[in-house]
Amino acid sequence: MESNKKNTNQEDKKEEAEGLQEGSEIEYVSYGGEHHLPLIMNLVDQELSEPYSIFTYRYFVYLWPQLSFLAFHDGKCVGTVVCKMGEHRNTLRGYIAMLVVLKPYRGRGIATELVTRSIRVMMDSGCEEVTLEAEVTNKGALALYGRLGFIRAKRLFRYYLNGVDAFRLKLLFPRPEAHQHQSIMKLGFGTYELGSDQQNEETSAE
Amino acid sequence: MAAEMTDGIEKFADNTDAQVPSNPSFPSGDQTVWADVSPLLQLASQDLHDGELIHGENFNLFAAMSALEIMDPKMDSGIVSTYCSVDEAIEKGAAPVPLSFNSTIDIQCTIDIMDHLLACEATWHKGHSLAQTVFSCIYLLRPDRISSHALLHSYCMVVRVTCNAVVSAVSDARTNEEEDLFTMTYGLPLKGEGDEKCLSILHAVDETISRQLRASKAPSTKRRVLEDIEPLQTNADLEGGLCKAVLCRLRFRKHFYHVLTCMRRPQGKGLELARKHITSCLSELDSMLKLEEFLKCKSICRTVKDATDDETTASGCQPIGFDFSLNSRLSAPTPPRAIKLLSWRKAVDYFKKLLHDLEVICSYTLDPVLEVVLRFVVAFQKLHPDLVARAYLQLLLVQEGKLYGRDPVFAMICKASLLPDTVKNHDLQKNETIIQLGQLLTNLLRILCTNSAWQRRKLGKILQEWRIVHAQLELAFRKEYGDISNTSNEDVGMNICSYILIWVEEQTYWIATRFLTLGFELELYSPCDYCMVYWYIYVILIKLAERTHIKMMRSNENSRRKGKKKRDSVKDGAKDHQIPPAVSLLQCQICLAEGLVMMLAALRNEYNAFQSVGPFNSEHERFLQHFELLQKACIPDGVSYVSFKETINHARLSTSSTYNCFKDAQRTAKELRTSYSNDPEKLNELRMIEQVAEHNVVALNLVRHLGTLDPSLKVYFEFSHHPHFASAVVKRS
Repeated sequence: MESNKKNTNQEDKKEEAEGLQEGSEIEYVSYGGEHHLPLIMNLVDQELSEPYSIFTYRYFVYLWPQLSFLAFHDGKCVGTVVCKMGEHRNTLRGYIAMLVVLKPYRGRGIATELVTRSIRVMMDSGCEEVTLEAEVTNKGALALYGRLGFIRAKRLFRYYLNGVDAFRLKLLFPRPEAHQHQSIMKLGFGTYELGSDQQNEETSAE
Repeated sequence: MAAEMTDGIEKFADNTDAQVPSNPSFPSGDQTVWADVSPLLQLASQDLHDGELIHGENFNLFAAMSALEIMDPKMDSGIVSTYCSVDEAIEKGAAPVPLSFNSTIDIQCTIDIMDHLLACEATWHKGHSLAQTVFSCIYLLRPDRISSHALLHSYCMVVRVTCNAVVSAVSDARTNEEEDLFTMTYGLPLKGEGDEKCLSILHAVDETISRQLRASKAPSTKRRVLEDIEPLQTNADLEGGLCKAVLCRLRFRKHFYHVLTCMRRPQGKGLELARKHITSCLSELDSMLKLEEFLKCKSICRTVKDATDDETTASGCQPIGFDFSLNSRLSAPTPPRAIKLLSWRKAVDYFKKLLHDLEVICSYTLDPVLEVVLRFVVAFQKLHPDLVARAYLQLLLVQEGKLYGRDPVFAMICKASLLPDTVKNHDLQKNETIIQLGQLLTNLLRILCTNSAWQRRKLGKILQEWRIVHAQLELAFRKEYGDISNTSNEDVGMNICSYILIWVEEQTYWIATRFLTLGFELELYSPCDYCMVYWYIYVILIKLAERTHIKMMRSNENSRRKGKKKRDSVKDGAKDHQIPPAVSLLQCQICLAEGLVMMLAALRNEYNAFQSVGPFNSEHERFLQHFELLQKACIPDGVSYVSFKETINHARLSTSSTYNCFKDAQRTAKELRTSYSNDPEKLNELRMIEQVAEHNVVALNLVRHLGTLDPSLKVYFEFSHHPHFASAVVKRS
């Protein structure tokens, strides 16, 4: 997906208040099959500018149905998250492709709940990190992911076709075994001292 | 789509009646034989419902995203086309020649085309495809049709030639990694017959119109006396204005093309001439702006839309002869959606900005000292130059593997390491690792010319290469000269080695500093990351200052040693013990960074502010992610999250050390002013440092004295005084 400029984007999700009482009437379900596909497609088509072909949706929901969730309110689908995971440079990495909540339902913590469910499945499946892209102007999404612990790892120049830059956001899960980075270099810069003719041998990295 | 396919297959099956063609164009091979697959497809098609997908293993996300749904106007760019081909567009009168049989309208329409082309060109420079911008012009797609229309012909020709020059500059510089749409030109007639005569043709047209302008100024009685000059058009009242409007447009093109060619002369030899053409370009652009009102109110023709700011022509009229969707059927690099062109005014502004950026490049002194080069490029990037200007800078800096195509890289390394000029021809330059180091250096210069988002990523990656080359150099030197740490040794080769090693370290820390500070410009850090980021900057800056100091002291020591042979100088000795201004400036920044670390840490410890607690990970993971590339390359050694925590754990607002950091920064910056009295850039940096320090002292005092009394006080950090060093602001929440 990184190599493709027509990319999924994350729609604005403002959630200043975690209105949990209100949110309690929302029902969250995991992707359950063909009958959910049109619901997801409608929602994304309505809210996101990028046109996705049916192949893109199928690619995600058929390969990783366990990572897609839908939010219902009184039987109406009001939000969805679509994700994938796979090998990336020898690590298992989760990727959040689309996250949409209908405008009137924003601010109730629905997006946070949807995305949290997906991330949890990724974590339990052995992912080491989760990534996604968001427009630099999408303050709502950036705040949401910031609260979840994502950092802005990179800025992607004119990533979207509308000319807007994107941030690549990343969430690294704690690694129980090795907290210290395995360094590939053993040689360190020497410690030079002024005026002394004697100089230490290079100190090896700790 | 699948349903359509099914129909198609059924028809195919019916028609062929399951007969295998007897004479296929590809004969059967040893292990292959032709077979009819229609029945199989027919069976399969019954299984496949509308919208379903056969998923092969190699069907990845890229393939899924690249798939189009035919006849969906959001994806299928073909169906939004007005015309099927250029020929059809021409047949239907989309691009008439002449543009009108009324010569006044013809000229006005020509001016509109010129303006719209300028808007297209600027939009292309800003990142859209050539096919959807400049080459949406039907006249440009069929240049032979307009050979009878001298004015339009010459203008289209110079636009094409200019586009070609820009494409080749950007392709040669390869600064466009992420802006690859820019150089996609296949299928477009970017080169035409007789392009090399472009300037002389332009000149001839200029001359004719100049004469027409002169004639229009002459009093009517004299007009007949003047040689028989046919006017540009028939309306005498408009003649002078239209001549001027056309002339400034033609001349802008001429000078702009000269700018581009002069700037590509080897070794920066055309820069001075380029500057003259830049001045001319800017004055022609001003003339164009001055005539905007004239063109607006005198446009007798044609459909003038309601005045908006989006008009792509000075007159405000819609240009004829353009169709943005034409190329979507003809060539690949056209994204399906319509693009929004820059307005004519914005295009003029864009070219002004581009010319000013190019002027900065042309005014550069081609200094052989690396430090000056780096400072220049960094300062240049602060102007936020676009792709084209950055490409030309890069082409100037690195030519044929030499700085400016003039100074060998080894000489540059020797200078940067403060080695005397005499060693620049030393055999060491043939050493393989030294050659590699030279490549790293030229690569660094190239990277510094790319857009800052891409630049930061590349800088992060090359840190490791610099680290490795240092290790390799150390090994190589030791192999050749034994213990290189012994600086008293008089062996020249060995001396060079130790100097170069220190410089490599210094340069590596410089790259690391740039990598970290660019993160602020790109808004990669959130306030809860500031504490660790400043801590890392602080650690790196100390190392950088150390290396710079050692390098300078050694060089002084060296020159003193040589000097001593002639005379004993007490003054020189005293000078040696002073800290060089470059090091003091770094110390100012170190103090600021330290102050910010301690202030942020204290706010964390005492007010629980600027902490990030997510449900999935901790600050440790944030640290690992932000500094992954630095940590991987051991820059610096032995630095980890644990050492960060140790530094900040005991920070308190009540301790005076934080306060002192800012005070030290302020004091040192003040003292340094005299050392940099001739360097406005450094003076500006010093002024910014002072301001940040001052504001932070005030904020710190406020929080210290009021903080516990007034819990509604909140501290924010802003970059109002310095791009990297934050100023604290205390506000009631």
